[in-house]
Amino acid sequence: MSLIRKVVSNFANDSTEPGTSSLIEFIRVIYLFLYEMKNTVAIGFLGTQLDFAGKGPQRWERWRPTVALCQQENLVINRLELLHDVRGRGLAERIALDIAAVSPETQVRRVEMNLRDAWDFEEVYAALHDFARAYAFDTEREDYLIHITTGSHVAQICWFLLAEAHYLPARLVQTSPSRKGDVDVGGSVSVIDLDLSRYDKIAQRFARERTDGLNFLKSGIATRNAAFNRMVERMEQVAGRSRAPMLLVGPTGAGKSFLARRVYELKKQRQRLAGRFVEINCATLRGDSAMSALFGHVKGAFTGAQTERAGLLRAADGGLLFLDEIGELGADEQAMLLKAVEEKRFFPFGADREAESDFQLIAGTHRDLRLWVAAGRFREDLYARINLWTFDLPGLAARPEDIEPNLDFELERHAHDQGRQVRFSAEARKRYLEFAASPAARWSGNFRELGASVTRMATLAEAGRITETAVEEEIDRLRGAWQADGRDQDACAQILQSAAENLDWFDRCQLNGVIAVCRSSSSLSEAGRRLFAVSRAGKKHANDADRLRKYLLRFGLDFERLRGAV
Amino acid sequence: MQPLQLDGSEGEGGGQILRTALALSMITGRPFRIERIRARRSKPGLLRQHLTAVQAAAAISGAVVQGAQPGSQTLEFAPGTIRGGDYRFAIGTAGSCTLVLQTVLPALWFADAPASVVVTGGTHNPAAPPADFLIRAWVPILRGMGVDMEVELQRHGFVPAGGGCVRATVRPCHALQPLELTERGALLGCTATAVVAGVAGEVARRELDAVASRLPQAQQQIRQLPANEGPGNVLMLELRHERCSELFTSFGARGLPAENVAARLLKEQHAYARSNAAVGEHLADQLVIPLALAGRGRFTAALLSSHLATNIEVVRRFLDVDMRTRAGERCVIVEAG
Repeated sequence: MSLIRKVVSNFANDSTEPGTSSLIEFIRVIYLFLYEMKNTVAIGFLGTQLDFAGKGPQRWERWRPTVALCQQENLVINRLELLHDVRGRGLAERIALDIAAVSPETQVRRVEMNLRDAWDFEEVYAALHDFARAYAFDTEREDYLIHITTGSHVAQICWFLLAEAHYLPARLVQTSPSRKGDVDVGGSVSVIDLDLSRYDKIAQRFARERTDGLNFLKSGIATRNAAFNRMVERMEQVAGRSRAPMLLVGPTGAGKSFLARRVYELKKQRQRLAGRFVEINCATLRGDSAMSALFGHVKGAFTGAQTERAGLLRAADGGLLFLDEIGELGADEQAMLLKAVEEKRFFPFGADREAESDFQLIAGTHRDLRLWVAAGRFREDLYARINLWTFDLPGLAARPEDIEPNLDFELERHAHDQGRQVRFSAEARKRYLEFAASPAARWSGNFRELGASVTRMATLAEAGRITETAVEEEIDRLRGAWQADGRDQDACAQILQSAAENLDWFDRCQLNGVIAVCRSSSSLSEAGRRLFAVSRAGKKHANDADRLRKYLLRFGLDFERLRGAV
Repeated sequence: MQPLQLDGSEGEGGGQILRTALALSMITGRPFRIERIRARRSKPGLLRQHLTAVQAAAAISGAVVQGAQPGSQTLEFAPGTIRGGDYRFAIGTAGSCTLVLQTVLPALWFADAPASVVVTGGTHNPAAPPADFLIRAWVPILRGMGVDMEVELQRHGFVPAGGGCVRATVRPCHALQPLELTERGALLGCTATAVVAGVAGEVARRELDAVASRLPQAQQQIRQLPANEGPGNVLMLELRHERCSELFTSFGARGLPAENVAARLLKEQHAYARSNAAVGEHLADQLVIPLALAGRGRFTAALLSSHLATNIEVVRRFLDVDMRTRAGERCVIVEAG
């Protein structure tokens, strides 16, 4: 060390041209070498708003973050990598000149980075990630600071993520203006080192916020089913990062509509949506009224269209549209919906001018839409569009471990709605849960059914207590409903299997009724008499057995087969 | 040689102790180590303007320096031989050119060859005396002590834009003549100068009018600078006496009425006028090193400021000189030898 000192000293003294600035530079380089003093390099965006303060001398009276960063009394920036796009070149050049005036130590390097949309998370992240990977970081000799005060908030978040993930071996630096009344326009800087333990708190906060988001989607129900929890977790991630459509697949009562609403509320909470939550079951939409209900109509579009109607898509502008049972949508509606999802534009019924609506779409279905696409009943392109994020919601029977938390949730909800706290006795609770999780419990109505079951018991509970007797009573009720279900209501599906899918619900109801009567009759004639009891009274010749046989034949069925299938 | 130990938090506790130590260290060849630099200030440690002074001192004396980085509270400085020649120093943050000159010029008086120093940055910074003060008040007294030195203001530089330029030329001398400056003598004349750059000329007019209302005898002068040298506004009052000149300064600021700028200036002038001293507070600070280097003499100051006391204390540490202060009639007498 002392030898080097001497060399430096001699060099300085023997120089034939003492006092040149290159001598200072030489000495500085030696210091850097000797005392491991590193150069400080700052990287940051040109602030097209904040750094712009005109060309006149008054610009010096405005706080300009990029200039201010180089104006600090206790921080020397040796090099500034100033990121800007092609439009910002003029401003960047002027800023570089001003920095040269107030900070002769700073070398400004302009880096052109053209972003199509500085608010597009994916694009900004990719651009900065590329920048970070291409940059020749020399951490041995340079300290890096990322200036996060300028650039879009998206850029700020991306810087943070890249620094936290150590893609950028840098600390973050923030500049802030002086307090009002302070004559110093340079303001102040604060350096944020993400490796310091106190920033763990921020990381913990992020983690907590995510957990909060998860809990929110699950409505605070501490669900235990791993597959379901994974699904909700993924849903929370998608809801947080994307506005792409989501598809919820699951049986009725599995909570599709409920989850869609929670996603909406979560997004609204996080300021990602400003508009309304609009929900419609497509199975209830038919014909002209379907078009008009969804897309609106103009006055006089069809008979009875006396006034203009905005339609649900426009009502959901800026918000979230939940289309349940999207498989039931007609071909015309599917085509228009595709246009609306892709272009955020569509034609209201009878209109020759397009309407606009920008909404987040969540679709729900209990069907396997792939089969419907194969059968030509659902548009393949629309399916491809909504199938980006598909979430399968298992029914309650597939999630026996979640019955208990949902039971508590339903009791809590009842207490909240009715202002009356109801509890199970320990034995009653044990008995109910045992039954609920057993294979005997089909839960064909899923969570909606569980909710109804709890509501019944809670309503009937004497003195706020659900007893074992009440539970046994409820179990009988559920068994009865499922038996009826199993034998009669779903007889079509049982007997016709997938062919039942080709029947209108109208026909299925009728056929189910007919099957139920046949099963409880000993002969075709008896069944015929019971089924046509009213009309046969006015007939001379009773031909009800024949009518029934022909009816059954239309579905490829006969009486013997129905009897045998019991 | 053992480095001299200094505590930077003592006395005035700011940059003055460092600048005085740098100057005296170069002249005496005595290395020093200063700790707790600006320890009690809100932004402790070395700031950029101090670093520039350290680097400038290192450049003219071939010093070896340790701890010269922003925020550092400890600095070691081991000077070599003071060399003449042409120097250029650029100061960031519109830091004061005069403070750097006050650090390096005393050393260059004793260099091996003539020197020229060009400093760019702030020439009119509220935290330091302006270049005009060096030129009008300080340089004439030093010429009287045998120093061959000229200082020239080439371009104004205000806070925050900077961009100013001051050039100083020095021919070395062997020793300084003793300083005898106990009274200012009769007033020969006074000039009020209002400088405006990128600021309405009306501001200068109002400032001068306000000065005239109290000092009708003052000559008035407006220095209207090109707008690109601004924004900046400073009001100066030069008082020329038989034995010495003084120059007082007041800075304009956004939102501060021109009349208040003038009132501040007049307050300083009034304090000086009431005293019996030859020099005012700031000029006194800058005479301690010359007086100490001359080895004997005295001057009278309007008050014993913390800067003055700190300078005297540092001088005592570096030089074998008996320097003391005592109260005079409406003044403080600073004596050496």
